[in-house]
Amino acid sequence: MKKYAIIGFGCAGFHAAKSIRQVDPEGQITVFNDTGQPPFNPMLSTYYASDKLGLDGVFPFGTLEELQQQWSLDIHHNVRVDWVDAQSKTIKLEDGNKHSFDSILIATGARAIVPPSFREGGGDYYLMRTLEDAQRLRSRIEEGGIKRATVIGGSMVGIKVAELLHENNIETTIVDAASYLFPLAAYESIAKLIQQRLEEQGIKFVFGAQVSTITQEGVVLGNGNTLESDIVCLCIGTTANVELVANTKVVEDSPVKVNRGIVVDMHMQTTCPGIYAAGDCCEGINLQTGKTQIIGLWANAAAQGSCAGRNMAGKSTVYYGNILHNITHFMDMDFIGLGDPTLPGERHTFKKDDLIVEAVLEGNKINSINIFGNYKISGILKNHLTKLLMGGDSKLTIAQQGLLANQGLSWEFIKLIGGEI
Amino acid sequence: MSKIFILDTEKCIGCSSCAIACMDQNDIEPYEGDIPFRVCFTVEQGSDKDSPFSYLTMACMHCEDAPCINSCPAGCLSKDMDTGFTVFDNNNCIGCHSCAMACPFAAPCFDKDGKMVKCDGCIDRVRAGLEPACVRVCPYDALQLVAKEDYEKEQKYKKAKILAYMAFDK
Ligand SMILES: Cc1cc2nc3c(=O)[nH]c(=O)nc-3n(C[C@H](O)[C@H](O)[C@H](O)COP(=O)(O)OP(=O)(O)OC[C@H]3O[C@@H](n4cnc5c(N)ncnc54)[C@H](O)[C@@H]3O)c2cc1C
Ligand code: SF4
Ligand code: SF4
Ligand code: SF4
Repeated sequence: MKKYAIIGFGCAGFHAAKSIRQVDPEGQITVFNDTGQPPFNPMLSTYYASDKLGLDGVFPFGTLEELQQQWSLDIHHNVRVDWVDAQSKTIKLEDGNKHSFDSILIATGARAIVPPSFREGGGDYYLMRTLEDAQRLRSRIEEGGIKRATVIGGSMVGIKVAELLHENNIETTIVDAASYLFPLAAYESIAKLIQQRLEEQGIKFVFGAQVSTITQEGVVLGNGNTLESDIVCLCIGTTANVELVANTKVVEDSPVKVNRGIVVDMHMQTTCPGIYAAGDCCEGINLQTGKTQIIGLWANAAAQGSCAGRNMAGKSTVYYGNILHNITHFMDMDFIGLGDPTLPGERHTFKKDDLIVEAVLEGNKINSINIFGNYKISGILKNHLTKLLMGGDSKLTIAQQGLLANQGLSWEFIKLIGGEI
Repeated sequence: MSKIFILDTEKCIGCSSCAIACMDQNDIEPYEGDIPFRVCFTVEQGSDKDSPFSYLTMACMHCEDAPCINSCPAGCLSKDMDTGFTVFDNNNCIGCHSCAMACPFAAPCFDKDGKMVKCDGCIDRVRAGLEPACVRVCPYDALQLVAKEDYEKEQKYKKAKILAYMAFDK
């Protein structure tokens, strides 16, 4: 009977456990998680904080008991795994106990970044990743008395936090070192337009500003000014939880390679045989660059976890990789970024009423697309771009072309991005 | 037994009866802001008089390996094992539109509360031995629901100009 260990029970960990069980009905699957909860979805934290979802809504796969029974898992909760020893195939828990395995998955996700200098000012701040983070912000808002808030980070998470503060009639300012919103996904033109719409609704922005620290008065900027705030939220990104394999004892001179995340191949195996990684803690292939990169998305964590699980159980399975892609629905707007917006090429713009689609093309190769104001076409274009990168048919199907036209895109633009007239 | 929707594009005349039957079945009021699950449209490839021209009708394809399911952060979408339909329970839907970005066929729609709704294959009708509303009303048998096995086996479906309502329309 094979012994599987899964470290971290989030989206990636859950899908791996499920896939292992589907392939291997006998194996012993032991899951370790440092919280007492079933797999939680960090994406739902802002919805929980703003009371749009209850506690029963934030665990999409069910309760621990249900999962334990349905997939015959041995779940150890409230335990941190400190160290993985690849040589002796054991893990060390924070309480000093050890546990052996034949095959192991690291699915430890990521945590919110807090620069040490931000702590030095002695001010309080709120993060948005875990259920505790969401509960803390929710209680603070319920307590009342917040007039002004500052959100550090004009990220997708930052915008969702700003939205929830704004909905609670709190005057909200977003501050960021970059010069516009969503720099990893959006073109400047689209970002500025989104900013304008948000400003019209009352959100304020301070761009190009370094934050030096957080004090009890608020956020102190590099130029010495203080943005006075009753509450400060920190949404400047995440860092992968990789420490447990960073210094692992190695087999055959193959240490686990770690860049920003744990580097994995198309089987989700790390550079050390028998150790797999999936989800926000790992770097899989970015189909556009061919290099490994963290693509911290829910569906990506699910696909990687499933692929890892199948391989661990002996069913060779490949996950070719993904592209950067994002859909953010906030304050009645939809922004969709597909592909890496920093890749070169010529920009083409389609505008009609409230819909804007911009694409960067290098010759006839699509490098990235931004959509503002229409969620319907996002899936057609995302699948088209992914298919192109996987070497599939470079043309949109007739049905897809018709659907794009039906949503208002011109035949000229459809042709440009892969239609056939 | 898994079922699939197929459209014989040689038979479809673009009358939109299927789309209207769908609205009727699902109480969709477009003038009140509801978004129809099924759409009918024409695709003209070129402007010459001989250019290819097709009528199409589309709703959820009930993809075999449906990418919308794992994309949903709230677990709203799932497969019905009997019919193979992609079904939903939008109780916990947060309206994030992630399913829309995962769907290659623009199938997910949103109701007035911002919750996801879409074609469920008229699963209640099908379970009761009836045809889906769109299939039932088609005057030319262009739109059909067939058992997946039959579709794969029977030659007649291969010959016709069929748009199979399956994953990534092949
Ligand atoms: C506010 C917010 C909004 C988001 N919005 C989107 C979005 O719109 N679309 C999208 O696709 N994605 C979004 N994401 C990202 C998405 O939530 C993640 O990509 C996904 O949840 C990653 O899953 P995971 O399983 O890799 O990691 P996690 O969910 O972080 O799970 C890792 C688990 O491992 C545990 N763990 C960590 N270290 C240890 C250890 N040493 N020992 C034991 N257990 C450990 C953790 O406690 C946790 O339970 C958002 C995230 C946030 C925070
Ligand atoms: S057509 Fe779209 S909504 Fe329907 S099953 Fe396929 S991916 Fe899901
Ligand atoms: S919009 Fe609703 S159904 Fe669609 S992915 Fe988001 S939560 Fe799921
Ligand atoms: S009812 Fe039949 S003929 Fe009319 S549009 Fe629909 S599929 Fe075509």
